[in-house]
Amino acid sequence: MDPFLSGLTALADPGLITLLIAATLGGVVIGALPGLNATTGAALLLPFTLTMEPVAAIATLTAIYCSATFAGAITAILINTPGTSASATTCLDGYPLALRGEAGRALGMAVVASTFGGIFSIVCLMIAAPLLARAAYNFAPPEYFALTVFGLSMLATIGDGSPIKNLIAGALGVLLATIGVDLLTSVERFTFGMPELYEGISFVPVMIGVFGISELLVQATNLHLERKQITMKAIKLPSRDDYRRVWKAILRSSGIGTFIGTLPAEGATVASMIGYNEAKRWSKTPEEFGKGAIEGIAGSEAANNSATGGAMVPTLALGIPGSPTAAVILAGLMVHGLRPGPAMFTEQANFAFAIFWSMMFVNLLFLAIGLYGAKIFARVTLVPVPVLWPCVFVFSIVGAYALDQSMFDVWVALGAGIIGYFMRLFGFSVVPLAIGLILGGMLEERLGQSMVMLDEQWWLMATRPLTLFFLILTVLALFGPSLWGALFKQRAPMKSTGE
Amino acid sequence: MQDKQAHGQLVRWLVPLAIIAFCALAIVISTTFERMPPILKRGIQPSDFPQLVAGLIILLALLSIWREPVRLTERLGPATWGTFVLMAVFVALVPVDFFLALGVFAAGLAFLWGERRPSLLATVGVMVPVLVFFLFDLAFEIRFPRGLLTNLWYG
Repeated sequence: MDPFLSGLTALADPGLITLLIAATLGGVVIGALPGLNATTGAALLLPFTLTMEPVAAIATLTAIYCSATFAGAITAILINTPGTSASATTCLDGYPLALRGEAGRALGMAVVASTFGGIFSIVCLMIAAPLLARAAYNFAPPEYFALTVFGLSMLATIGDGSPIKNLIAGALGVLLATIGVDLLTSVERFTFGMPELYEGISFVPVMIGVFGISELLVQATNLHLERKQITMKAIKLPSRDDYRRVWKAILRSSGIGTFIGTLPAEGATVASMIGYNEAKRWSKTPEEFGKGAIEGIAGSEAANNSATGGAMVPTLALGIPGSPTAAVILAGLMVHGLRPGPAMFTEQANFAFAIFWSMMFVNLLFLAIGLYGAKIFARVTLVPVPVLWPCVFVFSIVGAYALDQSMFDVWVALGAGIIGYFMRLFGFSVVPLAIGLILGGMLEERLGQSMVMLDEQWWLMATRPLTLFFLILTVLALFGPSLWGALFKQRAPMKSTGE
Repeated sequence: MQDKQAHGQLVRWLVPLAIIAFCALAIVISTTFERMPPILKRGIQPSDFPQLVAGLIILLALLSIWREPVRLTERLGPATWGTFVLMAVFVALVPVDFFLALGVFAAGLAFLWGERRPSLLATVGVMVPVLVFFLFDLAFEIRFPRGLLTNLWYG
């Protein structure tokens, strides 16, 4: 049977459907809780998926990804606190609308825009991922090496705009990935005679630590924050007039979000910012933005949700995570013994399409949940912080232990959490560390294979057109923003002089 | 004010220097890795890649002092210090019993962070660890380390 259709038949399994419903509800709760986001949620629930079949496990993680990204809008609109960073721009217009007594209208628009963006990106994923995989099928190790380097170089642009710190964190992750017995030569590296380190540091406890436990420590500094929820009578579907005003913004943001999502390491947060800015730039009433413009919500939400499907394109087709949550999903794929990349679309095409269809189902599901249950889910924002985070800690620690039933993993999670907290305290993002750890092994393996292939003459990489292309992209990703900034700085005084 | 400036300067230098020291140590340790004969080295020696990455980090750390000085984004408050103390208590209690340690940490954290309602403290400190234990033990068949309380179930 065609993988496209056989993937769809996976949804005929009542067990999988039940699981997806539960994961979507769980994802909405996670996304609605301030402080928890899709990445933390996926990292915390990763150990729960270990006993599942690969399709069920990865579908569960993607369901959490999609639904938590959407649910960030609930808190953004009702309590002016984005549930996830991807919803930060939704606050700008959602909360003013809620203050005007139009919370139901704002949430209705967020649900519709998110669903459209999500479905749009999954259609793109279904078309683009196999094509990209086919194009990458003939990649040799030097191309893969250059592509992975490009993926890592994109880490410079994530987070709060500290490229050097992001690169340091990413490289530290790559360095951590070298711990253990070298698979090619069987030489022990940085193991200090500890058997627990022979297989290297496991991704899962590190993810739980840097995303879950470090966030707990961050929350300790936010205890003084008071959250007031705006009451909402009922959620409202957008009116015909609303649709007329926003359809272009939704379509544009869906395209932007999908494209941003496909870029390695760039996720929903960047997508929503660009989607929002573009909605404002093309709006006939840009002065309304920030004061309750319905187009602002549509632009932001369509972009952040479409980035989820986009992020899965490089994750599945190339094995390069498209976002922080996609990195957790990539870790999940590896833990289940699956190797993402072009081979996935030839050897495990049914699996890949089952995941795509599950994501489609989840998007339709949170349309229903959003429209009929947002009012109920809005109440989870009232869970007291002193009750929520101890529970998160219990789940984090037990989840870390459950992976290999090893106390060593618990100490790794705890250590990673404390290190992650101090990194954040000093302005380093923890996302590059996690992505570096995942890609580190792959990077070294491909470098070794490239060196064998090129007779240890590494400079020959530049003679291969595709390798050179990715290396040029890497240079642009690293130095492009500075060059652009320098050019802009030079022109600005000229412009002001002219004026 | 002067104190704050001095502290800022200390952080600006201390963090990159700590990173550099860590990477320098990694490079030194990597020189002790076994070296493979050319026929077995598969492209690169086992020490080459870690040295390359550690060298790159040192370069970036030096660059950060000049281009992106490290700053402390927030000072550690009493709740954060208290949380660290509770983590130390958790580590100390794990050899006695894993779930006892989790319960004490969870209830302690809820109390430290301002929760005073006994019912909620009991829920967080007792109910949640017990439910998580049975969920993992019965549904996922995960065996936890034996201890004072888990022995009551394992026998």
